[in-house]
Amino acid sequence: MSEYLLCLFLLCIGLYCVLRKRNIIKIIIGLGIIEYAVNLFLVLAGYRVHGRAPILAKDQEILNIVDPLPQALVLTSIVIGLAITALVVAIAIRIYEKYGTFDITKIRRLRG
Amino acid sequence: MKKNEPGMTLIVKTITRLTVGLILLYGIYIVLHGHISPGGGFAGGVIIALSLVHLMLAFGKDFALKKISEATASILESLGALMFLLIALLGFFGGYFFLNFFLGKGEPFKLFSAGIIPLCNIAICLKVGAGLFAIFTILVLSKGKEKSKE
Repeated sequence: MSEYLLCLFLLCIGLYCVLRKRNIIKIIIGLGIIEYAVNLFLVLAGYRVHGRAPILAKDQEILNIVDPLPQALVLTSIVIGLAITALVVAIAIRIYEKYGTFDITKIRRLRG
Repeated sequence: MKKNEPGMTLIVKTITRLTVGLILLYGIYIVLHGHISPGGGFAGGVIIALSLVHLMLAFGKDFALKKISEATASILESLGALMFLLIALLGFFGGYFFLNFFLGKGEPFKLFSAGIIPLCNIAICLKVGAGLFAIFTILVLSKGKEKSKE
């Protein structure tokens, strides 16, 4: 149980970072932390006690394996996370070109 | 050492010269052993792209772009996607999609086995490696353009 709570704690750190920080780069780092918390949660959901990685190997009898389905899901999720990070960084660079700052409270030309 | 030389210090450059080839070789190893051990096209492609990113961080963008330019990366990426599609479509000569036309079924845990899976891994590696390097290159170049404007 405690590992799920730690996962939630990590998610809360990321959420704090996204909601409270004013620098865009720090918000992007917060998004990354949230991603990793969710990935960790999904992998933990498929874990068995004393389970091994679900990989066939030569001359080995594997009796107790962890669930491979969340791992495949998380692999896809990591790829999507990479794409999201690249997109967000590109948008941040554009914003810096336009406004000359990363502070979100000073980016307010779109108002009204 | 000259002052306005691009890239990081001499220590970083020397270490990079030693390690970059090893990282590239490790990526190729991961790709080629994708069907018998953990890893595969995606993981190996990321490692290959990281070796190029490593080169760019240590030596500056011009040195890395001389090795693989933006256009080459773009062509390689498209080539990876087309190669994957071609492998899938070649199966139609035998009757169905993704037919194993290459090397037969092979033996388990042998390097030259598993039919078209290694070929698919190589295609994915090209796509992912060139794509990731292109993303990094474009982010770096857009920053350079912004600086020269000022």
